[in-house]
Amino acid sequence: MESIVFGIGITALTGALATVAGAAEDTESNIGSQGDPNSQVQLAPQMGYLHRIFNKAVAGEPPAYGLWCALGAGLAWAFMAMQINAVLAIVLGCVLAVFVQGVYATTAYVGRTASLKKFGQPVYVDILKSMTTVTMAHAFVAIFCTVTLCYLMNAALGHPFPLPLLGLLWGIALGAAGSAVGNPYYGKERQYQNQKFGAGVPIAQSGNIVRYAEAGERNSLDNGFFTAKLGGPASGVCFGLIVFLELWRTVIFERISAGWGAIIVGILIILIFTVIDRYIEVWARKTYGPYAAPVKEASS
Amino acid sequence: MTVKIEVVAGGIPHTKIMVAGLLASLVCLYLSYLNVVTKTEMFSFFGGLAVVAALLWGSHTIKVLCSYGIGTGVPSAGMIAFGSGVMGMLLATKFGIAAPIVALVLAAIIGLIIGYLSNDVLNMKIPTMVKSLTELAIVGAFTLMGFAVLMTGSFTFANLMSGSVTFLGQVMPSFQVSFIGGSLIATAFMLGAIAIQHPFNACLGPGWTQDRMLILTAECGFLSMIVAAFMSFALITSGSALISLIVALVGWGYTYSEYMKLGKRDAAAWLDSKPIPDVEEH
Repeated sequence: MESIVFGIGITALTGALATVAGAAEDTESNIGSQGDPNSQVQLAPQMGYLHRIFNKAVAGEPPAYGLWCALGAGLAWAFMAMQINAVLAIVLGCVLAVFVQGVYATTAYVGRTASLKKFGQPVYVDILKSMTTVTMAHAFVAIFCTVTLCYLMNAALGHPFPLPLLGLLWGIALGAAGSAVGNPYYGKERQYQNQKFGAGVPIAQSGNIVRYAEAGERNSLDNGFFTAKLGGPASGVCFGLIVFLELWRTVIFERISAGWGAIIVGILIILIFTVIDRYIEVWARKTYGPYAAPVKEASS
Repeated sequence: MTVKIEVVAGGIPHTKIMVAGLLASLVCLYLSYLNVVTKTEMFSFFGGLAVVAALLWGSHTIKVLCSYGIGTGVPSAGMIAFGSGVMGMLLATKFGIAAPIVALVLAAIIGLIIGYLSNDVLNMKIPTMVKSLTELAIVGAFTLMGFAVLMTGSFTFANLMSGSVTFLGQVMPSFQVSFIGGSLIATAFMLGAIAIQHPFNACLGPGWTQDRMLILTAECGFLSMIVAAFMSFALITSGSALISLIVALVGWGYTYSEYMKLGKRDAAAWLDSKPIPDVEEH
Protein backbone atom coordinates (compact mmCIF):
# COMPACT_ATOMS: atom_id res chain seq x y z
CA MET A 1 0.00 0.00 0.00
CA GLU A 2 2.73 2.38 0.99
CA SER A 3 4.55 1.82 -2.27
CA ILE A 4 1.36 2.58 -4.22
CA VAL A 5 0.91 5.87 -2.34
CA PHE A 6 4.54 6.71 -3.03
CA GLY A 7 4.05 5.76 -6.68
CA ILE A 8 0.97 7.99 -6.98
CA GLY A 9 2.92 10.89 -5.48
CA ILE A 10 5.70 10.44 -8.02
CA THR A 11 3.09 10.10 -10.77
CA ALA A 12 1.51 13.42 -9.80
CA LEU A 13 4.92 15.09 -9.68
CA THR A 14 5.93 13.79 -13.11
CA GLY A 15 2.55 14.87 -14.51
CA ALA A 16 3.13 18.39 -13.22
CA LEU A 17 6.68 18.45 -14.63
CA ALA A 18 5.39 17.22 -17.97
CA THR A 19 2.77 19.99 -18.08
CA VAL A 20 5.43 22.64 -17.60
CA ALA A 21 7.66 20.92 -20.17
CA GLY A 22 4.88 20.83 -22.76
CA ALA A 23 4.02 24.50 -22.32
CA ALA A 24 7.67 25.57 -22.57
CA GLU A 25 8.30 23.30 -25.57
CA ASP A 26 5.41 24.72 -27.58
CA THR A 27 6.35 28.32 -26.84
CA GLU A 28 9.96 27.58 -27.78
CA SER A 29 9.06 25.97 -31.07
CA ASN A 30 6.65 28.78 -31.95
CA ILE A 31 9.24 31.46 -31.31
CA GLY A 32 11.59 29.49 -33.54
CA SER A 33 8.87 28.77 -36.13
CA GLN A 34 9.73 25.10 -35.92
CA GLY A 35 7.44 22.33 -37.07
CA ASP A 36 4.85 22.68 -39.80
CA PRO A 37 4.26 26.49 -39.53
CA ASN A 38 7.87 26.77 -40.69
CA SER A 39 6.89 26.09 -44.30
CA GLN A 40 4.98 29.37 -44.48
CA VAL A 41 7.81 31.34 -42.86
CA GLN A 42 10.16 29.78 -45.42
CA LEU A 43 7.74 30.47 -48.28
CA ALA A 44 6.91 34.09 -47.40
CA PRO A 45 10.05 35.77 -48.85
CA GLN A 46 9.66 33.72 -52.04
CA MET A 47 6.22 35.27 -52.49
CA GLY A 48 7.62 38.74 -51.89
CA TYR A 49 6.67 39.03 -48.24
CA LEU A 50 9.95 39.78 -46.48
CA HIS A 51 9.67 39.40 -42.71
CA ARG A 52 11.41 39.62 -39.36
CA ILE A 53 10.33 36.16 -38.13
CA PHE A 54 12.88 33.71 -36.70
CA ASN A 55 13.29 30.68 -38.97
CA LYS A 56 14.86 27.93 -36.87
CA ALA A 57 14.44 24.78 -38.92
CA VAL A 58 16.55 22.15 -37.17
CA ALA A 59 14.18 19.25 -37.77
CA GLY A 60 10.59 18.44 -36.96
CA GLU A 61 9.87 18.90 -33.28
CA PRO A 62 9.83 15.18 -32.35
CA PRO A 63 13.34 14.40 -33.69
CA ALA A 64 14.74 17.70 -32.43
CA TYR A 65 13.38 17.20 -28.92
CA GLY A 66 14.39 13.55 -29.12
CA LEU A 67 17.95 14.82 -29.46
CA TRP A 68 17.80 17.60 -26.85
CA CYS A 69 16.25 15.33 -24.20
CA ALA A 70 18.40 12.29 -25.03
CA LEU A 71 21.42 14.57 -24.87
CA GLY A 72 20.39 16.14 -21.56
CA ALA A 73 19.68 12.69 -20.14
CA GLY A 74 22.89 11.18 -21.55
CA LEU A 75 25.02 13.95 -20.09
CA ALA A 76 23.18 13.77 -16.76
CA TRP A 77 23.72 10.01 -16.76
CA ALA A 78 27.45 10.48 -17.44
CA PHE A 79 27.78 13.09 -14.68
CA MET A 80 25.96 10.80 -12.26
CA ALA A 81 28.29 7.95 -13.23
CA MET A 82 31.11 10.30 -12.20
CA GLN A 83 29.55 10.39 -8.71
CA ILE A 84 28.11 13.90 -9.12
CA ASN A 85 24.93 14.67 -7.18
CA ALA A 86 21.80 13.91 -9.25
CA VAL A 87 20.31 17.43 -9.12
CA LEU A 88 23.58 19.03 -10.17
CA ALA A 89 24.14 16.38 -12.84
CA ILE A 90 20.71 16.98 -14.40
CA VAL A 91 21.18 20.76 -14.38
CA LEU A 92 24.67 20.51 -15.95
CA GLY A 93 23.46 18.02 -18.54
CA CYS A 94 20.56 20.26 -19.52
CA VAL A 95 22.78 23.35 -19.72
CA LEU A 96 25.07 21.57 -22.21
CA ALA A 97 22.08 20.25 -24.18
CA VAL A 98 20.68 23.80 -24.39
CA PHE A 99 24.06 25.02 -25.65
CA VAL A 100 23.80 22.53 -28.51
CA GLN A 101 20.21 23.61 -29.17
CA GLY A 102 21.25 27.26 -29.33
CA VAL A 103 24.09 26.58 -31.77
CA TYR A 104 21.78 24.55 -34.01
CA ALA A 105 19.24 27.39 -33.90
CA THR A 106 21.73 30.03 -35.05
CA THR A 107 23.16 27.91 -37.87
CA ALA A 108 19.65 27.03 -39.04
CA TYR A 109 18.53 30.68 -39.18
CA VAL A 110 21.67 31.93 -40.93
CA GLY A 111 21.67 29.01 -43.37
CA ARG A 112 18.02 29.19 -44.35
CA THR A 113 18.05 32.97 -44.69
CA ALA A 114 21.31 33.08 -46.66
CA SER A 115 19.84 30.59 -49.13
CA LEU A 116 16.98 33.05 -49.78
CA LYS A 117 19.35 35.69 -51.19
CA LYS A 118 17.54 35.66 -54.53
CA PHE A 119 14.41 37.09 -52.87
CA GLY A 120 16.21 39.76 -50.88
CA GLN A 121 15.50 38.39 -47.41
CA PRO A 122 18.17 39.85 -45.09
CA VAL A 123 19.73 38.16 -42.06
CA TYR A 124 18.77 40.21 -38.98
CA VAL A 125 21.50 40.05 -36.36
CA ASP A 126 19.22 41.47 -33.66
CA ILE A 127 16.68 38.70 -34.36
CA LEU A 128 19.47 36.14 -34.11
CA LYS A 129 20.61 37.47 -30.75
CA SER A 130 17.28 38.09 -29.04
CA MET A 131 15.29 35.10 -30.35
CA THR A 132 18.01 32.50 -29.85
CA THR A 133 18.44 33.37 -26.19
CA VAL A 134 14.68 33.28 -25.58
CA THR A 135 14.31 29.89 -27.28
CA MET A 136 17.27 28.60 -25.29
CA ALA A 137 15.61 29.67 -22.04
CA HIS A 138 12.35 27.94 -22.95
CA ALA A 139 14.21 24.89 -24.21
CA PHE A 140 16.05 24.66 -20.90
CA VAL A 141 12.76 24.54 -18.98
CA ALA A 142 11.38 21.89 -21.33
CA ILE A 143 14.52 19.72 -21.32
CA PHE A 144 15.08 20.06 -17.57
CA CYS A 145 11.50 19.04 -16.74
CA THR A 146 11.63 16.09 -19.15
CA VAL A 147 14.99 14.79 -17.95
CA THR A 148 13.84 15.18 -14.35
CA LEU A 149 10.68 13.19 -14.96
CA CYS A 150 12.75 10.51 -16.70
CA TYR A 151 15.06 10.43 -13.70
CA LEU A 152 12.07 10.09 -11.34
CA MET A 153 10.72 7.21 -13.42
CA ASN A 154 14.08 5.52 -13.39
CA ALA A 155 15.14 6.13 -9.79
CA ALA A 156 11.85 6.33 -7.89
CA LEU A 157 9.55 4.06 -9.88
CA GLY A 158 12.26 1.60 -10.89
CA HIS A 159 11.76 1.83 -14.66
CA PRO A 160 14.13 -0.72 -16.24
CA PHE A 161 15.33 1.54 -19.09
CA PRO A 162 18.53 3.57 -18.58
CA LEU A 163 18.18 7.35 -18.40
CA PRO A 164 19.36 8.26 -21.95
CA LEU A 165 16.88 5.85 -23.55
CA LEU A 166 14.03 7.25 -21.44
CA GLY A 167 15.16 10.74 -22.44
CA LEU A 168 14.99 9.78 -26.12
CA LEU A 169 11.52 8.22 -25.82
CA TRP A 170 9.95 10.99 -23.74
CA GLY A 171 11.71 13.69 -25.75
CA ILE A 172 10.08 12.38 -28.92
CA ALA A 173 6.72 12.20 -27.09
CA LEU A 174 7.18 15.78 -25.88
CA GLY A 175 7.97 17.05 -29.37
CA ALA A 176 5.02 15.15 -30.80
CA ALA A 177 2.62 16.60 -28.20
CA GLY A 178 3.81 20.15 -28.84
CA SER A 179 3.74 19.62 -32.59
CA ALA A 180 0.25 18.12 -32.69
CA VAL A 181 -1.48 20.38 -30.18
CA GLY A 182 0.33 23.70 -30.18
CA ASN A 183 1.28 24.14 -33.83
CA PRO A 184 -2.22 24.52 -35.32
CA TYR A 185 -2.75 27.50 -33.04
CA TYR A 186 0.39 29.20 -34.36
CA GLY A 187 0.29 27.97 -37.94
CA LYS A 188 -3.39 28.28 -38.73
CA GLU A 189 -4.46 31.00 -36.33
CA ARG A 190 -1.60 33.39 -35.72
CA GLN A 191 0.13 33.31 -39.09
CA TYR A 192 -3.17 34.04 -40.86
CA GLN A 193 -4.69 36.45 -38.38
CA ASN A 194 -5.00 38.95 -41.22
CA GLN A 195 -7.36 36.65 -43.16
CA LYS A 196 -11.10 36.25 -42.80
CA PHE A 197 -11.82 33.89 -39.93
CA GLY A 198 -12.80 30.39 -41.00
CA ALA A 199 -12.19 31.05 -44.69
CA GLY A 200 -9.20 28.74 -44.95
CA VAL A 201 -6.07 29.86 -46.74
CA PRO A 202 -6.45 30.35 -50.51
CA ILE A 203 -3.40 29.57 -52.63
CA ALA A 204 -3.07 33.26 -53.52
CA GLN A 205 -2.55 34.09 -49.86
CA SER A 206 0.22 31.51 -49.30
CA GLY A 207 3.14 33.14 -47.57
CA ASN A 208 1.15 36.23 -46.64
CA ILE A 209 1.78 35.73 -42.95
CA VAL A 210 1.34 38.31 -40.19
CA ARG A 211 4.39 40.57 -40.38
CA TYR A 212 3.20 43.92 -39.08
CA ALA A 213 1.90 44.87 -35.67
CA GLU A 214 -0.48 47.62 -34.58
CA ALA A 215 2.60 49.80 -34.63
CA GLY A 216 5.84 48.65 -36.17
CA GLU A 217 6.87 45.18 -37.27
CA ARG A 218 6.32 41.89 -35.56
CA ASN A 219 9.01 39.42 -34.71
CA SER A 220 8.81 35.93 -33.27
CA LEU A 221 8.69 37.12 -29.66
CA ASP A 222 5.21 38.47 -30.41
CA ASN A 223 4.28 35.05 -31.75
CA GLY A 224 5.56 33.45 -28.56
CA PHE A 225 3.56 35.94 -26.52
CA PHE A 226 0.44 35.16 -28.55
CA THR A 227 0.69 31.37 -28.40
CA ALA A 228 1.79 31.24 -24.76
CA LYS A 229 -1.79 32.11 -23.83
CA LEU A 230 -3.60 29.05 -25.25
CA GLY A 231 -1.34 26.96 -27.50
CA GLY A 232 1.39 26.46 -24.91
CA PRO A 233 -0.84 25.45 -21.99
CA ALA A 234 -2.87 23.16 -24.27
CA SER A 235 0.32 21.35 -25.30
CA GLY A 236 1.28 21.20 -21.64
CA VAL A 237 -2.03 19.61 -20.67
CA CYS A 238 -1.63 17.12 -23.51
CA PHE A 239 1.88 16.02 -22.54
CA GLY A 240 1.01 16.13 -18.84
CA LEU A 241 -1.98 13.85 -19.41
CA ILE A 242 0.09 11.44 -21.48
CA VAL A 243 2.74 11.12 -18.78
CA PHE A 244 0.27 11.08 -15.89
CA LEU A 245 -2.12 8.50 -17.34
CA GLU A 246 0.74 6.31 -18.53
CA LEU A 247 2.33 6.15 -15.09
CA TRP A 248 -0.99 6.08 -13.21
CA ARG A 249 -2.21 2.95 -14.98
CA THR A 250 1.14 1.27 -14.44
CA VAL A 251 1.44 2.12 -10.75
CA ILE A 252 -2.14 1.16 -9.81
CA PHE A 253 -2.89 -1.83 -12.03
CA GLU A 254 0.53 -3.39 -12.56
CA ARG A 255 -0.03 -6.01 -9.87
CA ILE A 256 -3.26 -7.32 -11.38
CA SER A 257 -2.62 -10.62 -13.21
CA ALA A 258 1.11 -10.13 -13.72
CA GLY A 259 1.05 -6.80 -15.53
CA TRP A 260 -1.89 -7.53 -17.85
CA GLY A 261 -4.09 -5.28 -15.70
CA ALA A 262 -2.07 -2.22 -16.73
CA ILE A 263 -2.25 -3.19 -20.40
CA ILE A 264 -6.03 -3.70 -20.30
CA VAL A 265 -6.53 -0.35 -18.51
CA GLY A 266 -4.31 1.27 -21.15
CA ILE A 267 -6.53 -0.08 -23.93
CA LEU A 268 -9.63 1.12 -22.03
CA ILE A 269 -8.14 4.63 -21.74
CA ILE A 270 -7.49 4.69 -25.50
CA LEU A 271 -11.10 3.61 -26.16
CA ILE A 272 -12.50 6.29 -23.83
CA PHE A 273 -10.41 8.97 -25.52
CA THR A 274 -11.48 7.74 -28.96
CA VAL A 275 -15.14 8.17 -27.96
CA ILE A 276 -14.49 11.65 -26.53
CA ASP A 277 -12.55 12.72 -29.65
CA ARG A 278 -15.26 11.49 -31.96
CA TYR A 279 -17.92 13.31 -29.94
CA ILE A 280 -15.97 16.58 -30.05
CA GLU A 281 -15.35 16.22 -33.79
CA VAL A 282 -19.02 15.64 -34.59
CA TRP A 283 -20.06 18.48 -32.29
CA ALA A 284 -17.55 20.87 -33.90
CA ARG A 285 -18.69 19.94 -37.42
CA LYS A 286 -22.34 20.50 -36.52
CA THR A 287 -21.71 23.76 -34.69
CA TYR A 288 -19.21 25.41 -37.04
CA GLY A 289 -19.83 23.33 -40.16
CA PRO A 290 -18.25 23.84 -43.59
CA TYR A 291 -17.83 27.43 -44.73
CA ALA A 292 -21.04 28.73 -46.25
CA ALA A 293 -21.93 32.03 -47.89
CA PRO A 294 -23.74 34.32 -45.44
CA VAL A 295 -27.49 33.99 -45.71
CA LYS A 296 -29.05 37.09 -47.27
CA GLU A 297 -31.82 38.69 -45.28
CA ALA A 298 -35.14 38.29 -46.96
CA SER A 299 -36.10 41.63 -48.46
CA SER A 300 -39.65 42.69 -48.17
CA MET B 1 9.66 8.67 -61.75
CA THR B 2 10.00 11.95 -59.97
CA VAL B 3 11.57 15.01 -61.43
CA LYS B 4 14.94 16.17 -60.23
CA ILE B 5 14.57 19.77 -59.18
CA GLU B 6 18.13 20.72 -58.32
CA VAL B 7 21.53 19.62 -59.53
CA VAL B 8 24.94 19.79 -57.96
CA ALA B 9 26.31 22.66 -59.99
CA GLY B 10 30.04 23.23 -59.74
CA GLY B 11 31.95 22.49 -56.58
CA ILE B 12 33.53 19.18 -55.63
CA PRO B 13 31.89 16.19 -57.38
CA HIS B 14 30.02 13.75 -55.15
CA THR B 15 32.21 10.76 -55.97
CA LYS B 16 35.28 12.61 -54.74
CA ILE B 17 33.57 13.50 -51.44
CA MET B 18 32.40 9.91 -51.07
CA VAL B 19 35.85 8.37 -51.55
CA ALA B 20 37.51 10.97 -49.33
CA GLY B 21 34.93 10.55 -46.56
CA LEU B 22 35.07 6.77 -46.68
CA LEU B 23 38.86 6.62 -46.57
CA ALA B 24 39.24 9.34 -43.94
CA SER B 25 36.78 7.80 -41.53
CA LEU B 26 38.20 4.29 -42.02
CA VAL B 27 41.73 5.57 -41.40
CA CYS B 28 40.62 7.52 -38.31
CA LEU B 29 38.80 4.50 -36.89
CA TYR B 30 41.92 2.38 -37.37
CA LEU B 31 44.16 5.09 -35.90
CA SER B 32 42.13 4.76 -32.70
CA TYR B 33 43.55 1.22 -32.51
CA LEU B 34 46.71 2.94 -31.27
CA ASN B 35 44.86 2.82 -27.94
CA VAL B 36 45.33 -0.95 -27.84
CA VAL B 37 48.89 -0.82 -29.16
CA THR B 38 50.06 1.77 -26.64
CA LYS B 39 47.70 0.56 -23.86
CA THR B 40 46.26 4.04 -23.28
CA GLU B 41 43.00 5.78 -24.16
CA MET B 42 44.68 8.93 -25.48
CA PHE B 43 43.79 8.28 -29.11
CA SER B 44 40.02 8.14 -28.55
CA PHE B 45 39.62 11.52 -30.23
CA PHE B 46 40.26 9.82 -33.58
CA GLY B 47 36.73 8.43 -33.18
CA GLY B 48 35.40 11.98 -33.19
CA LEU B 49 37.40 12.82 -36.33
CA ALA B 50 35.97 9.69 -37.98
CA VAL B 51 32.51 11.02 -37.11
CA VAL B 52 33.25 14.37 -38.79
CA ALA B 53 34.63 12.69 -41.93
CA ALA B 54 31.68 10.31 -42.22
CA LEU B 55 29.16 13.12 -41.66
CA LEU B 56 30.76 15.25 -44.41
CA TRP B 57 30.20 12.43 -46.86
CA GLY B 58 26.72 11.65 -45.51
CA SER B 59 25.39 15.19 -45.65
CA HIS B 60 26.42 15.46 -49.30
CA THR B 61 24.70 12.15 -50.02
CA ILE B 62 21.56 13.58 -48.43
CA LYS B 63 21.90 16.59 -50.70
CA VAL B 64 22.07 14.30 -53.74
CA LEU B 65 19.13 12.16 -52.56
CA CYS B 66 16.88 15.00 -51.41
CA SER B 67 17.36 16.91 -54.66
CA TYR B 68 14.63 14.57 -55.88
CA GLY B 69 11.19 15.04 -54.43
CA ILE B 70 11.31 12.02 -52.12
CA GLY B 71 8.00 12.91 -50.50
CA THR B 72 9.29 13.22 -46.94
CA GLY B 73 11.28 15.80 -45.05
CA VAL B 74 15.06 15.89 -45.00
CA PRO B 75 15.31 14.69 -41.34
CA SER B 76 13.82 11.31 -42.27
CA ALA B 77 16.91 10.60 -44.37
CA GLY B 78 19.07 11.02 -41.28
CA MET B 79 16.85 8.65 -39.32
CA ILE B 80 16.97 5.88 -41.92
CA ALA B 81 20.74 6.28 -42.21
CA PHE B 82 21.23 5.57 -38.53
CA GLY B 83 18.42 3.03 -38.24
CA SER B 84 20.11 0.89 -40.87
CA GLY B 85 23.61 1.78 -39.74
CA VAL B 86 23.13 0.75 -36.11
CA MET B 87 22.45 -2.88 -37.10
CA GLY B 88 25.62 -3.18 -39.16
CA MET B 89 27.68 -1.40 -36.54
CA LEU B 90 26.53 -3.52 -33.57
CA LEU B 91 27.04 -6.80 -35.40
CA ALA B 92 30.44 -5.69 -36.69
CA THR B 93 31.79 -4.93 -33.22
CA LYS B 94 31.88 -8.69 -32.64
CA PHE B 95 34.72 -9.02 -35.15
CA GLY B 96 37.53 -7.40 -33.16
CA ILE B 97 40.07 -5.51 -35.20
CA ALA B 98 38.19 -6.16 -38.44
CA ALA B 99 35.15 -4.31 -37.08
CA PRO B 100 35.30 -1.16 -39.29
CA ILE B 101 35.68 -3.23 -42.48
CA VAL B 102 32.90 -5.63 -41.42
CA ALA B 103 30.68 -2.63 -40.55
CA LEU B 104 31.30 -1.27 -44.06
CA VAL B 105 30.25 -4.53 -45.72
CA LEU B 106 27.29 -5.28 -43.45
CA ALA B 107 25.90 -1.74 -43.61
CA ALA B 108 26.27 -1.76 -47.39
CA ILE B 109 24.25 -5.00 -47.59
CA ILE B 110 21.54 -3.65 -45.25
CA GLY B 111 21.43 -0.37 -47.16
CA LEU B 112 21.11 -2.24 -50.47
CA ILE B 113 18.18 -4.27 -49.14
CA ILE B 114 16.40 -1.17 -47.78
CA GLY B 115 17.12 0.71 -50.99
CA TYR B 116 15.74 -2.15 -53.10
CA LEU B 117 12.61 -2.38 -50.91
CA SER B 118 11.86 1.33 -51.10
CA ASN B 119 12.66 1.73 -54.77
CA ASP B 120 11.21 -1.42 -56.32
CA VAL B 121 8.73 -2.83 -53.80
CA LEU B 122 7.31 0.48 -52.58
CA ASN B 123 7.80 1.80 -56.14
CA MET B 124 9.42 5.10 -55.25
CA LYS B 125 11.47 4.92 -58.48
CA ILE B 126 14.12 7.47 -57.62
CA PRO B 127 17.28 6.89 -59.71
CA THR B 128 19.84 7.41 -56.94
CA MET B 129 17.79 5.82 -54.14
CA VAL B 130 19.57 2.44 -53.84
CA LYS B 131 23.03 3.98 -54.06
CA SER B 132 22.21 6.78 -51.61
CA LEU B 133 20.62 4.52 -49.00
CA THR B 134 23.62 2.19 -49.23
CA GLU B 135 25.96 5.13 -48.66
CA LEU B 136 23.82 6.46 -45.81
CA ALA B 137 23.79 3.09 -44.03
CA ILE B 138 27.60 2.98 -44.16
CA VAL B 139 27.80 6.57 -42.93
CA GLY B 140 25.44 5.71 -40.08
CA ALA B 141 27.49 2.68 -39.07
CA PHE B 142 30.79 4.61 -39.23
CA THR B 143 29.41 7.55 -37.28
CA LEU B 144 28.05 5.33 -34.49
CA MET B 145 31.33 3.43 -34.38
CA GLY B 146 33.17 6.75 -34.20
CA PHE B 147 31.04 7.85 -31.27
CA ALA B 148 31.64 4.47 -29.58
CA VAL B 149 35.40 4.91 -29.97
CA LEU B 150 35.23 8.50 -28.75
CA MET B 151 33.28 7.57 -25.62
CA THR B 152 34.84 4.21 -24.72
CA GLY B 153 38.19 4.20 -26.51
CA SER B 154 37.40 0.97 -28.34
CA PHE B 155 35.19 -0.52 -31.03
CA THR B 156 35.03 -4.08 -29.76
CA PHE B 157 31.78 -5.51 -28.43
CA ALA B 158 33.21 -6.58 -25.07
CA ASN B 159 34.39 -3.06 -24.28
CA LEU B 160 31.11 -1.49 -25.37
CA MET B 161 29.18 -3.82 -23.06
CA SER B 162 31.21 -3.37 -19.89
CA GLY B 163 32.44 -0.44 -17.90
CA SER B 164 33.74 -0.10 -14.41
CA VAL B 165 32.24 1.51 -11.35
CA THR B 166 34.16 2.64 -8.26
CA PHE B 167 32.36 1.60 -5.09
CA LEU B 168 33.96 2.20 -1.66
CA GLY B 169 37.36 2.52 -3.29
CA GLN B 170 36.96 -0.79 -5.15
CA VAL B 171 36.84 -0.84 -8.94
CA MET B 172 34.16 -3.27 -10.07
CA PRO B 173 33.07 -4.23 -13.58
CA SER B 174 29.57 -3.04 -14.42
CA PHE B 175 27.23 -3.58 -17.35
CA GLN B 176 25.15 -0.56 -16.30
CA VAL B 177 28.01 1.91 -16.75
CA SER B 178 28.85 1.13 -20.39
CA PHE B 179 28.17 2.47 -23.87
CA ILE B 180 25.38 -0.02 -24.56
CA GLY B 181 24.27 -0.88 -21.03
CA GLY B 182 23.84 2.79 -20.17
CA SER B 183 22.14 3.45 -23.53
CA LEU B 184 24.65 6.12 -24.48
CA ILE B 185 24.20 4.58 -27.91
CA ALA B 186 20.71 6.18 -27.94
CA THR B 187 22.25 9.61 -27.42
CA ALA B 188 24.92 8.88 -30.05
CA PHE B 189 22.18 7.80 -32.46
CA MET B 190 20.28 11.07 -32.13
CA LEU B 191 23.46 13.21 -32.14
CA GLY B 192 24.44 11.67 -35.46
CA ALA B 193 20.96 11.55 -36.97
CA ILE B 194 20.36 15.26 -36.43
CA ALA B 195 23.92 16.25 -37.35
CA ILE B 196 23.78 14.40 -40.68
CA GLN B 197 20.52 15.98 -41.86
CA HIS B 198 20.89 19.47 -40.41
CA PRO B 199 23.44 20.90 -42.90
CA PHE B 200 21.32 20.29 -45.98
CA ASN B 201 18.09 21.08 -44.12
CA ALA B 202 19.51 24.40 -42.97
CA CYS B 203 21.14 25.40 -46.26
CA LEU B 204 18.51 24.27 -48.78
CA GLY B 205 16.94 26.80 -51.08
CA PRO B 206 17.80 28.59 -54.30
CA GLY B 207 20.96 30.07 -52.77
CA TRP B 208 22.44 26.72 -51.68
CA THR B 209 26.24 26.65 -51.83
CA GLN B 210 28.37 23.57 -51.37
CA ASP B 211 31.18 25.06 -49.30
CA ARG B 212 28.75 26.60 -46.82
CA MET B 213 26.89 23.30 -46.37
CA LEU B 214 30.06 21.27 -45.93
CA ILE B 215 31.57 23.65 -43.37
CA LEU B 216 28.27 23.48 -41.49
CA THR B 217 28.53 19.68 -41.53
CA ALA B 218 31.97 19.87 -39.98
CA GLU B 219 30.57 22.31 -37.40
CA CYS B 220 27.75 19.90 -36.51
CA GLY B 221 30.25 17.06 -36.24
CA PHE B 222 32.57 18.95 -33.90
CA LEU B 223 29.59 20.20 -31.86
CA SER B 224 28.44 16.61 -31.36
CA MET B 225 32.01 15.69 -30.51
CA ILE B 226 32.08 18.30 -27.72
CA VAL B 227 29.10 16.80 -25.88
CA ALA B 228 30.24 13.24 -26.62
CA ALA B 229 33.61 14.13 -25.10
CA PHE B 230 31.78 15.30 -21.96
CA MET B 231 30.03 11.92 -21.79
CA SER B 232 33.33 10.10 -22.31
CA PHE B 233 34.58 11.41 -18.95
CA ALA B 234 32.41 8.70 -17.38
CA LEU B 235 33.95 5.84 -19.36
CA ILE B 236 37.62 6.68 -20.08
CA THR B 237 40.40 8.40 -18.15
CA SER B 238 39.99 12.13 -17.57
CA GLY B 239 43.19 13.02 -19.43
CA SER B 240 42.11 11.20 -22.58
CA ALA B 241 38.61 12.71 -22.42
CA LEU B 242 40.19 16.14 -21.99
CA ILE B 243 42.24 15.66 -25.20
CA SER B 244 39.02 14.81 -27.09
CA LEU B 245 37.29 17.84 -25.59
CA ILE B 246 40.09 20.23 -26.59
CA VAL B 247 40.26 18.85 -30.14
CA ALA B 248 36.47 19.21 -30.40
CA LEU B 249 36.39 22.76 -29.01
CA VAL B 250 39.15 23.96 -31.35
CA GLY B 251 37.48 22.33 -34.37
CA TRP B 252 34.08 23.68 -33.47
CA GLY B 253 35.29 27.23 -32.84
CA TYR B 254 37.06 27.34 -36.19
CA THR B 255 34.24 25.82 -38.26
CA TYR B 256 31.55 27.93 -36.56
CA SER B 257 33.32 31.20 -37.28
CA GLU B 258 34.01 30.07 -40.86
CA TYR B 259 30.35 29.15 -41.32
CA MET B 260 29.21 32.55 -40.06
CA LYS B 261 31.62 34.22 -42.51
CA LEU B 262 30.19 32.17 -45.39
CA GLY B 263 26.67 32.97 -44.20
CA LYS B 264 27.55 36.65 -44.32
CA ARG B 265 29.01 36.20 -47.80
CA ASP B 266 25.90 34.47 -49.16
CA ALA B 267 23.19 36.50 -47.41
CA ALA B 268 21.26 39.20 -49.26
CA ALA B 269 22.06 41.65 -46.45
CA TRP B 270 23.37 41.45 -42.90
CA LEU B 271 21.32 43.96 -40.89
CA ASP B 272 21.12 44.86 -37.24
CA SER B 273 17.82 46.28 -35.90
CA LYS B 274 16.64 47.49 -39.30
CA PRO B 275 13.07 47.47 -40.67
CA ILE B 276 11.84 45.17 -43.42
CA PRO B 277 13.25 46.47 -46.72
CA ASP B 278 10.78 47.78 -49.31
CA VAL B 279 10.05 45.52 -52.23
CA GLU B 280 8.06 46.53 -55.26
CA GLU B 281 4.90 44.47 -55.02
CA HIS B 282 3.91 44.69 -51.37
